[in-house]
Amino acid sequence: MNPVVTGVGFITPIGNDRASVERSLREGRHGIGPVEFLGNPELPVKVAGIVRGFEVDSPSWRDWSWPGRYDIPKEVLRGLAPHGLYAICAVEQALAEAGLGPPDVAEDPATGLYCASAGSAMLLHHNLAQMRAVRGARGNPMGVVSSIAGTLNFNLAAHYRITGTVCGFVSACASSSHALGYAVDDLRLGRIRRAIVVGAEEMNADSVLPFAHMRALSKQSDGRKASRPFDVERDGFVGAGGAVALVLEDPRAASGRGAAPLATAAGWGQAADGYSVAASHPGGSGLLLAMERALADARVGPDDIDHVSAHATSTPVGDLAEAIALRGLFASRGLRPPVTAAKALTGHGLSLSGAMQAAFCVVSIAGGFMPGNPHLGTADPECEGLELPRATLGRAPTAVLSNSSGFGGSNVCHVIAAPRKITG
Amino acid sequence: MSTPPTNPPNTALARFPAEVLEAYQRYRAHGDAGAVEAVVIAAVVDYRPTGTGAPAEMRDDTRLVEDLGYDSVAVAELVFFLEDLFDVTLSNDDIQGVRTLAELRGCVNRKLAGRVRRA
Repeated sequence: MNPVVTGVGFITPIGNDRASVERSLREGRHGIGPVEFLGNPELPVKVAGIVRGFEVDSPSWRDWSWPGRYDIPKEVLRGLAPHGLYAICAVEQALAEAGLGPPDVAEDPATGLYCASAGSAMLLHHNLAQMRAVRGARGNPMGVVSSIAGTLNFNLAAHYRITGTVCGFVSACASSSHALGYAVDDLRLGRIRRAIVVGAEEMNADSVLPFAHMRALSKQSDGRKASRPFDVERDGFVGAGGAVALVLEDPRAASGRGAAPLATAAGWGQAADGYSVAASHPGGSGLLLAMERALADARVGPDDIDHVSAHATSTPVGDLAEAIALRGLFASRGLRPPVTAAKALTGHGLSLSGAMQAAFCVVSIAGGFMPGNPHLGTADPECEGLELPRATLGRAPTAVLSNSSGFGGSNVCHVIAAPRKITG
Repeated sequence: MSTPPTNPPNTALARFPAEVLEAYQRYRAHGDAGAVEAVVIAAVVDYRPTGTGAPAEMRDDTRLVEDLGYDSVAVAELVFFLEDLFDVTLSNDDIQGVRTLAELRGCVNRKLAGRVRRA
């Protein structure tokens, strides 16, 4: 049976809880603000998706601040990267919404943890620079576990005392969609009965600025123009950080304890481009196959999909490939499900992206609306045949296709459905 | 590396009471051994894990693990902090015999031999 989503949690540029995220999505309110990296006003990166309520710029956790509702002891903080702090706050929300607390998941062999982050470039750089400055004589004892890829799963597993599955995924911007997918599979296979899926990233010079050197970031200074997926004038993506958590459960386990499902993880699929280390396949071939596989896994056809959450990051090449893939799946059959690109509001959260989109789909299904594309001016002519509503639509989707694409051509797609639409 | 990465003491001690920074400055200016002891004790208090029971009295024979709830990671963090602050290297051998506050102070003082003087 397909797992159900019983809780979601958000620390994002458009809100730090489900209610504020829903409001931002409904009202088309973005969370992009001005940044100046490394004290250099000459840099061409002027804006980013900014998480409010946290001060985590320092490499020392002792300097951090975060919303007072989260009580996090220093034994936990000392191993965390900034995005680990975001993640704990998001998991707390997701567990609470699911009607669970940390004691329910602690030392429960039926609970698994599926994480995605790229690690902390900021802490890695800081710790290694510190080590090199003293020619290796000493270093931060928590330097490894707080900074390398995997820091998220190390820390969350220890903090929540997870004894079922613990794993991490590193496929760049498809990472947390992979995490969600393998959580779905383990639940379906009966290996676990509950999964916590987390995607998280930092937004700082070390994590975002290197993308400017790939010429992948927008140069715009106006938040409404910087992230304009599918717009003919789009000029790159806007970096973002945050964390999103989802609690998934075996539907019988959820109903057995009286938990109300918010949505169903109905199926997923993946396929690769086999083309470039960084750029999407110009024909969107891997993404198209991944979407087809997701639909097949969910046992639905393209005509069952009534909303699409596009990966679309606002880069010229990536959006074009996705538009072509979406045309191939839908427009070629005369289908026009509304397509939403949420990164217009959030910016691009990299490893966080897939989980964030999936959780937005849950919010959209549970809240009875489909977010629009408020930053879209003139759609790229290559989007001909795609339905790109500017304004929010006041009806609930029943089955949403959510796309992710990462470096190396990894494409991962999920079908997130209304709780009783597809039961598997 | 192009930039000095180590925290300057003013930053490293920013979270401590003002008298701790003053003690550190006395050590820097005059090699005051008593000031070193004050900084070491303050660091032990600061790095002590939370939720480890009632506050223990800071006596010479107070034990880091048994009395103050230190685990091996917290010890490693404390040692790294002191190493960085006093610009010394404490080897595993140096640390292995350290159980109490007096032993920790002695360990740091041995490393600072020649840099401090007793009042």
